[in-house]
Amino acid sequence: MWNRSKQRLAVLALWSAAGVLAQDVPLDPQRGVKFNLPPDSPVTLLSASMGESRATPRGAALVLDLHMSLTLRNATANRIHGVALRVVSQEVTVGGKASVSVPSLNVGPGEAFPIRIDLQLMRPTQVAGGPLVQVDLDGVLFQDYSFYGPDRLNSRRSMTAWEMEAQRDREHFKRVLAQFGPEGLRQSMLDSLTRESERPQLDVRVVRRRTVSGAAVSADHTAQFAFLKFPDAPVEPVDGWAELTGSEAHSPRIQVRNVSNKAVKYVEVAWLVSDEKNQQYVAASLPASDPDLFLPPGKTARVLQDTELRFSRNGDPVNIRHMTGFVSQVEFADGKMWVPNRQNLENAALLRVLAPSAEEQRLADLYRKKGIQALMEELKKF
Amino acid sequence: MRHPSEATLALFAGGDLGPFQRWRLDRHLADCEGCREEVAALAGMRGILPELTETPEVPWNRLAAEMKANIRLGLAAGECVRTGEAPLRHSLFTGARAGVAVASMVAVLVTALVLERPAPRPSRLDGVVVQTMPDGIQVRQGGQALQLMHAGAHNVTYSVGAQGSMRARYVDPETGYVTINNVYVE
Repeated sequence: MWNRSKQRLAVLALWSAAGVLAQDVPLDPQRGVKFNLPPDSPVTLLSASMGESRATPRGAALVLDLHMSLTLRNATANRIHGVALRVVSQEVTVGGKASVSVPSLNVGPGEAFPIRIDLQLMRPTQVAGGPLVQVDLDGVLFQDYSFYGPDRLNSRRSMTAWEMEAQRDREHFKRVLAQFGPEGLRQSMLDSLTRESERPQLDVRVVRRRTVSGAAVSADHTAQFAFLKFPDAPVEPVDGWAELTGSEAHSPRIQVRNVSNKAVKYVEVAWLVSDEKNQQYVAASLPASDPDLFLPPGKTARVLQDTELRFSRNGDPVNIRHMTGFVSQVEFADGKMWVPNRQNLENAALLRVLAPSAEEQRLADLYRKKGIQALMEELKKF
Repeated sequence: MRHPSEATLALFAGGDLGPFQRWRLDRHLADCEGCREEVAALAGMRGILPELTETPEVPWNRLAAEMKANIRLGLAAGECVRTGEAPLRHSLFTGARAGVAVASMVAVLVTALVLERPAPRPSRLDGVVVQTMPDGIQVRQGGQALQLMHAGAHNVTYSVGAQGSMRARYVDPETGYVTINNVYVE
């Protein structure tokens, strides 16, 4: 029979156990993070706060929750339209790295802007020494598409493409406003928000294996890509396939031809998949694997990746039936870039499947929070 | 308390029990004087058996009678011990014993929880994995992981690079800027 003292004893024991589990401690900002900005950096660090960053032991591991809030200032005479920060933890992720980018900025000379980095590291408890995380400037993109930075993560290419998409979509919404007035713009925003809420998303897990000699991935069959071709695309897909096993796809390979009159140094193909119900999803982007790609006019090259993608939705595997591809990004040898125009995407009914651009996402969020008047004011700034 | 059979005691005395049974019997003998004496007697007899086999004029009948007497003595001693013990169910969950039992169970539970929480375990995959998590995107290799979080953000758009990268795009609820988190396989 349990009496009162035994119940107290049990509660005391459970309370002690909870104490053992919650041995988290605040992190020392000096030891936790190191910020590296070069002396000639176009942005300066005004402040850095570590907020509620903590370290919590879990079994044989230490979990570090880092919540960084940075305030940077534009130290140049140009307007900044994008910033990319490289985040590395050398001792933690031997095989990985991370970055935080903020596109669609419009920061004038001398103006300050905030960036938040929320990060969680899991590492063995016994590892010690050195800063836990190092944050470096990887690049700054200016209004005139000039770029500053070491660009170790190809931030110049990414931010340039985002900026081109931003210009494309701002021009689209400006045209809508000019042709149909505020009510037309409101309807466009509502359409965008509806598309975004109804857009089917797949959970994709990417496994990049270390090279194992003689290792071969068994596949049910090899499936061919179907292709969408845009009239103004400088590169067109020719042929392509991937190995499929139920809800997994391996080793996609696509042959492309340069149909422009300029040499190309980077191609990216968007990869769509359809399930058994013919529901189409964006699976992944398929970038050229060769960092030294040089594709002269009229020549062909192969875009391939030795990788494994696993598809699921709401925890259930999604069996792949069909695959579609289209060229989504091209960089020429002179550094200029091409992205599909809005008309191409609308004609191919891709707007229903693809995520909106970063700029469309920002404008739709602005409309949702502040209304049509604030959106029109924002469009006038560009 | 249940006493072991005479055969088991005899095997124990001869060193012929397996390790687990020997361990169990050791524990029993520590608390049972009767069985201890019986084992001692059996061991003693075993000690003189070789001598007996070497002596042709052994009085086997007398020896058998002594053995029976010893066995009876052992059984009688066992009975004495048995009658002196309180029933098991009356003593097990009383006073400090209950406390010790609860504390032991809690210790086992805490150990299990600590071990089963998401501590880094060796991945069954032999490569680096990038994946979405409930409130972030993660690059993971074995017991080490780096995760960029987007807690509190709505309408997060994920995109995957087949070369081994993942991207989460959202409007930061605090700054109002579109923020793009990326994790990559090196």
